[in-house]
Amino acid sequence: MKKLTALILVLMLALSCCAFAEGGDITLDVIICQYGPNTNDWFLGTGMNGTNFVDKFEAENPGIKLNLQVVSWNDVYTEVSTRISNNNAPDILNIDVFANYAAEGLLLPVKDYCPEELFNDFFPSFIEQSVVDGTCWAVPDLASARALYVNTDILDEVGIEVPTTWAELEDACQAIVDFYGGDVYPWGVDMTTDEGQAAFSYYVWNNDGGFVDADGNVALNSDKNVEAIEFAIGLVNKGFTNPNPATQTRYDLQDMFGAGKLAMVIAPNQLPSYLKDKNYEVNFATAALPVNEGATPGATGVMDRVMAFKDDAYPDQAARNEAIGKFLTFFYAPENYVGWVSMEGFLPAVNSSVAALVESDPSFEAWLNVLDSCKFYPTALDNWDAIKQGVIEVEQSALTGGDVKTLLDELQAKIAG
Amino acid sequence: MNHIPIRHKWEPYVWLLPSLLLMSVFVVFPIFIVFKLSLSDISKSGIVGGLNHFANFKAAFKDPAFPVVMKNTLVWVVSVVGLSTLLGFITAMVLNAPFRGRKIARSIVVFPWATSLVIQASIWNYIIKYEYGNLNNVLMNLGLLRTAVNWRATYQIEFAWECGIGIFVTIPFVAFTVLAGLQSIDDAYYEAATVDGAGFWKKLRHVTIPLVKPSLTVSTVLNIIYVFNSFPIIYTITKGAPANKTDTLVTFLYMRAFYDNQKGAATAMSVIGFAILCVAAGAYMMIAMRKEEAL
Repeated sequence: MKKLTALILVLMLALSCCAFAEGGDITLDVIICQYGPNTNDWFLGTGMNGTNFVDKFEAENPGIKLNLQVVSWNDVYTEVSTRISNNNAPDILNIDVFANYAAEGLLLPVKDYCPEELFNDFFPSFIEQSVVDGTCWAVPDLASARALYVNTDILDEVGIEVPTTWAELEDACQAIVDFYGGDVYPWGVDMTTDEGQAAFSYYVWNNDGGFVDADGNVALNSDKNVEAIEFAIGLVNKGFTNPNPATQTRYDLQDMFGAGKLAMVIAPNQLPSYLKDKNYEVNFATAALPVNEGATPGATGVMDRVMAFKDDAYPDQAARNEAIGKFLTFFYAPENYVGWVSMEGFLPAVNSSVAALVESDPSFEAWLNVLDSCKFYPTALDNWDAIKQGVIEVEQSALTGGDVKTLLDELQAKIAG
Repeated sequence: MNHIPIRHKWEPYVWLLPSLLLMSVFVVFPIFIVFKLSLSDISKSGIVGGLNHFANFKAAFKDPAFPVVMKNTLVWVVSVVGLSTLLGFITAMVLNAPFRGRKIARSIVVFPWATSLVIQASIWNYIIKYEYGNLNNVLMNLGLLRTAVNWRATYQIEFAWECGIGIFVTIPFVAFTVLAGLQSIDDAYYEAATVDGAGFWKKLRHVTIPLVKPSLTVSTVLNIIYVFNSFPIIYTITKGAPANKTDTLVTFLYMRAFYDNQKGAATAMSVIGFAILCVAAGAYMMIAMRKEEAL
């Protein structure tokens, strides 16, 4: 019995120590998405010139501790929603979507914690993407832009130019099929469950269509959209593409492109570093996405974000907001941010780092121009997740013989109704 | 009457306490939570609200993909459990017969079972790939194929592959459960049967099958549960594409929960799955045991 009492006393003592150990300091729970092989090393290992983000931040900001976790994109949605369900949301979250969190009142408005100087440093067209009814709920952490990559050896051998319109694209595909038989796929299509919404955007945005109309209302079944998706499905049915677009991901396509099996593919600006990392030797050129005759071209941009969750139980809200602001200021400071963005080949979200980035890699400049004209997914809509999964299901159903117009009409009715 | 000291009366319960605690914390409590969640409003971000009058179940049954998914689940469970039981039984018979290298053969059969399902599914994904897939390469190098074949030409074929892989990875489990049963059969039964003039098929029907039946019942019930709940093969190979046509209930509800953020409907589906499993496994066990008693 004496032993038991002693044990209980020791346990209680240990527990009380845990509870009071961190008095005075503020600890921020941070979730960062894993963008590539270097993310973890940069934040937690030795990837930042021998040190890491957390150590450097804590050394420069006494009184603020970071409990930072790098989570893979596959797991981050499950992780975050589980933590929200358990009333344990992170303080700072890096992810792509924000609208549901904002609509459900979980986020702090950006103006509550972001210093004004930093806020004005973001590209305004990026900031707009995170504004709902006049309030900005998140800031962009980085972006990437999609472009057409063509295998120049294949195009030269067949004797064709890079297609700029849909009609030219079909001719080019036919020429490649005639030349190689089935050995080279002319055109890559990815309508997978992972990223089929990107394929949707490549075609509708180059046919004056889109996810939403000019007033920002969901307009999935417009004639322009129907025409665009029928065109894309037509490319598959004519045998111009990789054979299994519903399950062949963009990474499968990138590998085929690297191996010279695929002549043309739409991919993000990181493709060159992807090909280099995997030791593919292929001669390629980049171009704008082909556009339907007479339509305005629209490039696809993808942006991720950083946002801060409310924590009403925290006693000193002002101190918490200030700490979050310091985190952001540190993250976007050029001496840190340039390394972060260029490490995985992304494009920046703030003006102050552009000069340094262009200096380190002149090819950035062309991409920054593309980024300027980019369209982004309407992620500010709180039903974006349903729209995204919906267009993917439409594409996949159309691939198995469904009628595009009927499918888009049904989806529009479901989303709008 | 023997006098039992009081200590002996409560002592067994003390020893049972840890496992009871484990069971309640890791099995009973989560089941209770899921049941409660399935009746509650759950926001897209995951905030749990009040009860919502079976709205989650209504949403699950109204989901246009639900009938297809249930049909797939039935095909998946029946084909994988049925064929792996048959093939596993045959494998066990072979492994029970004396031959040279039997030990090596037995350990080779264990391999698929000892490897993680995600790894196996990924490897199969490479094998059946059209471009540079191992199956095409091997067949072309052997001169059996002149041009590569698209082994995943339609979603029906893709689903058949998934079932095939499911069968392949399940055979070892059945084989070893049955093998254990076979090894416990006394040779005297077979000797007696031989003396009575029974051939291979008669011995199989009247000696082997009745005596390994308890092992078969165990492996089948466990298999129904494992296969019904199996996630990695389908998630790795097709992710349910195209448009949920290759989803089973478990992969489908995961998609609904974490891709579409329909968390309420997803919890309702997992409760529906739990109920189906209870009924199916329970019914099978009752039928199997009744037959055993009748023997």
